[in-house]
This record gives sequence, structure tokens and C-alpha cells, in this order.
Amino acid sequence: MDSPFARLTLPARIDSMQAFRDFVRVGAESAGLEAPEMDWLDLVLEEILVNIARYAYQPETGDTEVRYAVEQPGKLLVEISDGGRVFNPLVSDPPVLGGGLAERPIGGLGVFLVKNIVGSLSYRREQDRNTISFTFPGPNKGGA
Amino acid sequence: MNIEPTELEKAVVLKVIGRMDAENADEFQQACERWIAQGSRHLIADLDGLQYVSSMGLRAFLGVAQKLQSLSGSLILCGLHGLPRQVFEMTRLLSLFPVYDDVAQAVAAL
Repeated sequence: MDSPFARLTLPARIDSMQAFRDFVRVGAESAGLEAPEMDWLDLVLEEILVNIARYAYQPETGDTEVRYAVEQPGKLLVEISDGGRVFNPLVSDPPVLGGGLAERPIGGLGVFLVKNIVGSLSYRREQDRNTISFTFPGPNKGGA
Repeated sequence: MNIEPTELEKAVVLKVIGRMDAENADEFQQACERWIAQGSRHLIADLDGLQYVSSMGLRAFLGVAQKLQSLSGSLILCGLHGLPRQVFEMTRLLSLFPVYDDVAQAVAAL
């Protein structure tokens, strides 16, 4: 049986982001997702891809694979994998969300946003690759 | 993303149009830092035309706001709506900025 996934592999760099977004948008359209949801999907993709581009391979370079499947009408399953060092971003400490302006740390918000936007979200390490898997949209349709 | 600056008597308005993401958030931060280096202490970000912001954009807003606060200035946000507003709310950043519906209100409050 053919894999249900459509796949795209590109260098793990920030400048690959637009091509990955365009690729997954094709899947989002075939799943029947609507325009406002597309921007939230872009956001999830960006946060995960930026993490990989910045941390997975440093100082070497490598690839990222994005694959998607339409799970059911209105619901997309997306998996993003890299062959970098073992790294599960989902277990990072939650960001500090309290305190005044001067005390607010500048980083750590990307994974937090992802967790608030998607449906199911998981990490696995298989065949020497990190894989983040998520369904979209989540119960709040973009966290709204 | 386009950034259109307008210099007013008490502040500089930076009209941000388009999408602020990992590829261009630095441009916003650098534009703000140039105005700060020239002596501006109150920057008004007019975000009515901002369609999208990611965590890299949030970092830029936060970095500029912290810098201005340390100089007794402020980064004022106007016109936030849609996804960008929800992202600011979700991360509980909204309460850390002076926020107005539009530039006229922000200027009147200075």
C-alpha cells in the first residue's frame, strides 16, 4: 500500500521555511481548512522548523523532512523530522509568563505556542531521527 | 513585511505591514534600534496591517520594549487584531505593553 504521506525534504535552514509552508498549505487546502486556520498552521510549522534550523545540527548542517496526510476532512496530520542530535523540544521547561516587562525572558515562547495551537502533539526518536508529530487544527481552532 | 516610519513631535510611528516571522523580525528590531540611537524614546508600532507574528517577532517586540524601558521610554502597540493579538494574549505579553486602538489615541496619551 502506498504511504498516505506527501513528503518534502529540504536543508534545515530558515530560508527553507516558505517552501515548507507552501507545501503543507496544499495539504491544508485538500483537507478543507479555511484561510484563517492556514496562518495558525504556518505559525506551528515556523516554530518547529526554526527550532530545528537553530539547534538540530549545529555546527553541522542537515536536512528536515516535512510530511503530511489528511486524517479526515478538516484535519491534517503533520510530521517533521530531522537527523540531528537527540532533542525533544516538547519536554523543555514552560516559559515564564508572569512578572513585569524587565523580568520577562525573551525566549521560550515558540514551543509554548505550538502546544496551545495544535491537537495531539508528540515526539519520537526512530532510525536516528527526531520526529515531531501533530494534528491540526486543535480543539480551539488556532487557540482562539 | 514593510515598515513605514513617521516622525511626530513626541514619538516615531512605525507602521508595520505584512507578516513578521523568523526571516524578517530582525528588520523590525533594527529599525527600532536606529530610531533609539537617534534619540527617540517613544516608539508607536502601528500594527493594523500586521497579519502574522511568530515567537521570533515577539522576541523583537520584547527586546525593543525592554531597551526603551531602561531608557525611560516605551514601545506602544496600536491596532493589534486577529492572529497577532491572539498570540500576544496567549503568551501574556499584551499586559506588558501600552496598547491602544489606534495611533491617534496613543499620541493623545503621551
